[in-house]
Amino acid sequence: MKGLSSLERNILECLGRQSLSYEIIQHQTGLHENVCFNLLQALIIRGIITSEGGRYKVSESISPLMMEEINGLEARQLESLELMEAVVEQKSNRIFRLQKVAMDPRDEKIFLAMLSNLDSFLQDAHKKSQTSVPLKERKVVFWGVGEVNSLMNQIVTGR
Amino acid sequence: MSPQTSLQQKTIQRYRQFFPEDTLREISSRTGIQITRVFRLMNGKNMKVGELEAFERAVTVKTAENPNFAHMSTVIESASAVLTNEELGKIADYVQRKVANRTFGRMYIRSTYQDMSIA
Repeated sequence: MKGLSSLERNILECLGRQSLSYEIIQHQTGLHENVCFNLLQALIIRGIITSEGGRYKVSESISPLMMEEINGLEARQLESLELMEAVVEQKSNRIFRLQKVAMDPRDEKIFLAMLSNLDSFLQDAHKKSQTSVPLKERKVVFWGVGEVNSLMNQIVTGR
Repeated sequence: MSPQTSLQQKTIQRYRQFFPEDTLREISSRTGIQITRVFRLMNGKNMKVGELEAFERAVTVKTAENPNFAHMSTVIESASAVLTNEELGKIADYVQRKVANRTFGRMYIRSTYQDMSIA
């Protein structure tokens, strides 16, 4: 599989620069025991994490090729799609809105400025709570904007 | 590795993807092959054609439970004729991710994992 699945990324984000036990990883990620164990094994097989004395940590000798595979644009796009699809298909507490909006150039500038404010707010919020809020309770937030004409052309041509 | 062994391994691997937790008794009941013979086949004894067909039949019965499987096969046929290589790659990656994520939820299956780590 190209890149990482969002499940695997969860494990890596949980580990960060630390060395953690299976129990802590499982608690932090909120993954089912079996799934968590299988993910750890898969990441060990791929040489992305190592295990020593019952603790897991991100490998210090990941090759540049593997780094590109994990963090390359294509891999991150696939991962984003995976999460976005999950949000769109969410059964409960679903918040998702997609609209075609008519905006004059002035409103477009205001909108982009608001997005920039939103981005700053989210970065501050994350900085403030990243040590106290476990990974499993964090929120997945995404936004994007495109022009109908160019998007439709992209859909038709596949490029 | 003889071609027959390779085909046999593929067939068993495919069977295991559909029925990862089947015991020898369950495999025997699903395929109609005697349990002692199933044990031998799982340990690398060469299959007869009829036995290979029995394993494939079990998989076919299982896939028939999902009418969308046939639909997907048809769509993939059309896709291979119409879409670009890049687009086909994206679809393949998408499906592969779905499969991998679902596989993480299953019990550890050696052969499947080996394939995943190579891919």
